[in-house]
Amino acid sequence: MYRKLLVVSLALTLIIGVFASGLWAQELAQNQVLRIALDAQDLSTLDPHRSATTPDRAIVDMVFNGLIRYKPGDISVFEPDLAVEIPEPTDGGRVWTFELKHGVMVHPWDGNAGYELTAEDVVYSFTKAANPDRSSYAGEYVGMSFEAVGDYAVKITLEEPLSAMLFLPKVADYAGGFIIPKVPIEAMGDDAFKTHPVGTGPFMYNEYVPMDRVVLKGNADYFRGAPILKTVEVRYMPEVASRELGLRSGELEVVEGRREQDWVETIGTNPGIVVDSFGPGETVTMHFNLKREELSKKGVRKAIAYALDRNGFLAFFGDTAEALYSPVPGNYLAGGLTYPELWAAGLAYDVDLEEAKDLLADAGYPNGFSMEAVTSERASYRRVYEQIQAHLRQVGIDLELRVVDHSTMHSMIRDDVNPITIYIAWRPNADVFLTRFYHSDSIVVTGAKPDTNFSHYTGIDDLIETARVQVDADMQIACWKEAQRELAEYLVSYPLIMLKFIFARSEKVDWGYDLKSTVALYTQITEKTRILK
Amino acid sequence: MGSYLVRRILLAIPILFAVLTLVFLLVRVAPGDPAVAALGDYASKEAVEALREKMGLNAPLYVQYFQFLGGLFRGDLGRSLINSRPVASQIASAFPYTLELTASGIILGSLFGILLGILTALRRNRLVDYIGRVFSLVGLSVPAFYLGILLLLIFSIKFNLFPVVGGGDLSNFGETLYYLFLPALTLALIMMSYITRMTRSSILNILNEDYVRTARAKGLRERLVIYKHVLRNALLPVLSVVGMFSIVLIGSSVMTEVVFSRPGLGKMMVGAMKQRDYITLQSIMVIFSSLVVFINLITDLAYGFTDPRIRYD
Repeated sequence: MYRKLLVVSLALTLIIGVFASGLWAQELAQNQVLRIALDAQDLSTLDPHRSATTPDRAIVDMVFNGLIRYKPGDISVFEPDLAVEIPEPTDGGRVWTFELKHGVMVHPWDGNAGYELTAEDVVYSFTKAANPDRSSYAGEYVGMSFEAVGDYAVKITLEEPLSAMLFLPKVADYAGGFIIPKVPIEAMGDDAFKTHPVGTGPFMYNEYVPMDRVVLKGNADYFRGAPILKTVEVRYMPEVASRELGLRSGELEVVEGRREQDWVETIGTNPGIVVDSFGPGETVTMHFNLKREELSKKGVRKAIAYALDRNGFLAFFGDTAEALYSPVPGNYLAGGLTYPELWAAGLAYDVDLEEAKDLLADAGYPNGFSMEAVTSERASYRRVYEQIQAHLRQVGIDLELRVVDHSTMHSMIRDDVNPITIYIAWRPNADVFLTRFYHSDSIVVTGAKPDTNFSHYTGIDDLIETARVQVDADMQIACWKEAQRELAEYLVSYPLIMLKFIFARSEKVDWGYDLKSTVALYTQITEKTRILK
Repeated sequence: MGSYLVRRILLAIPILFAVLTLVFLLVRVAPGDPAVAALGDYASKEAVEALREKMGLNAPLYVQYFQFLGGLFRGDLGRSLINSRPVASQIASAFPYTLELTASGIILGSLFGILLGILTALRRNRLVDYIGRVFSLVGLSVPAFYLGILLLLIFSIKFNLFPVVGGGDLSNFGETLYYLFLPALTLALIMMSYITRMTRSSILNILNEDYVRTARAKGLRERLVIYKHVLRNALLPVLSVVGMFSIVLIGSSVMTEVVFSRPGLGKMMVGAMKQRDYITLQSIMVIFSSLVVFINLITDLAYGFTDPRIRYD
């Protein structure tokens, strides 16, 4: 009896298995070519240690690996990538030793066969990332030394101990953490490598047509298994209407969208098209220039804060935005403040127009005042400024806007031209956010390392520096939160919203993971991404 | 004729030289920094400064200018500030797409524009004239990018007849035509609108001339009057307009390439402008300026063939 039952069960399992695998095979489209159009004129550089724009990072993300990686679709989780596991630090947090996976193959290039990635490549890559002449992220690797321990282990020694929260992003699949194999870049030179990247990732470089496209082919030797997609075509299409029409006509499978609720709603009405709205997006923060007469008065800054309605912003931007209460986005990074924390400290600055008008009157501006700000032509900036303009008008503050092109805006705001500066950015951790926007060294024009401290504030240097060397995660987070409470108390800046990323795709595209957030700032394409029938 | 040609070519040299100088200065006077554009806002000041040095942007302006001119004389357009690839090879791959687009736009637009112009003039104040006038008015008013999107919506989305993205493979004639049809139609419709109006008004003017009345009074057949006396004289001003609007059309091709996501000099120029890629931008401007000078020259020379009164002594 039992034998019969066992035989029947096995037979059923086999039938279901065969049926299920048949279904799997059937549901895949025959042509596994994914065409994705990005909002760009052309690539800038595909050297991961130089790439800084979303379109460049998208390709870099498919071609290269880090020692560890942000889990695809969820940046709150790290998992091993080229490393066998995420190690525990030794020597009080100063030494991190990574054991490398065996059999990771570097892509073939220019007639050269690929080869197995070893510790020598990894050490070479980090040394390059730390070299300011060859990397835009060298500052992240100051005080670090790299050493190969045999062929399959790399020891990273830090002059000062770092917490895991600050160290791990430096060796993850982002910016300087991407591993560039030594032999191909040495053979080609840095300039040629910009348009002919060679890495270890699931897709490898095939073709670049300037101002038009980059074509990647699936890497059959990828260490996680050959990708399901055979080809990925990245198209450069700066015109959103063209991208949209390309998607609707079926010539594109995925397009970068517009961060506007109208666009999301309109494109979503097309049959067979779905919209992905995902984080972490970019923080939208308004920085007050404390050197300007009006804004040097705390009462005026408070009046502006009370005049701004975060809920109004959220309603305007709809699905493309989420709330932001502190410079470090608490939804995605450790060290950010939540609304209840700010509210409890009396620093939430909920909209109150009467209070705003009273504060302005007390500060000597009963009829308000005018100011002029330079903004980018990009809708994401312009629309935020226009909303601010509308909110401030209600309390008598007249904000005049001067629209310039994006690159010009970046140059001008670094020359300290704006009384208030909206900055839209993503930074990998709280330390980078706070250092680059609020440390005195980062003050625009006059700082020791002029960067993006538009407010000229100098009050939280100690807290930033104390937090940076904390190995204990709780203490570190406490310092960051304290620093941001001070920022909120002094009203150095006013965090407005987080703008999420918007992509639209054919419903036949299956990412192969749950898309919540991605540090690559595009809908990641992995070895599991596939196109269904 | 030969000496006139030489004179015109020699005259074109200082014009081109002035344009090159202006282009060189304009792209550098415009605010913005190629190093910032290339590295993005995350890059530190040091990284930006290092890249500026590497790009040669810290050299005095006159040094950059003479390097630019020297390169041009050697036929070396330099390397893109952004992707470090030789600009000449990028232009070489993009130029055929722009050439086929503008040439087909000019040819189709002129051909059909002249035909429609003749038709509307000869059928003045009749249905065909009203339709033709409305058509040319609409064509004059609608910008190229809007017309392009409209055509895409009708022919690509609604009827699924033509592609939306790309320029096709130039070595495949059928594919080239398939990808070229809608962008060329966009430009042709714009060109046609100009030419239709010009041809119509020119013919109407000539129809009132004494010699036309005389020809009719002599008893010549109407077809002969139109062909021998009206058209030959009416087309002379149209010819100059074709030359002038061909130049306008080169401008319209920029947006057409962007809308249709076609490779080409226009798309390349917009990209170079956005990225502050001075080297690429000034090289494309050199090409466009040369084209304008060349078209002007061809137009002037064409007068001689169509108007026997013009002599090039």
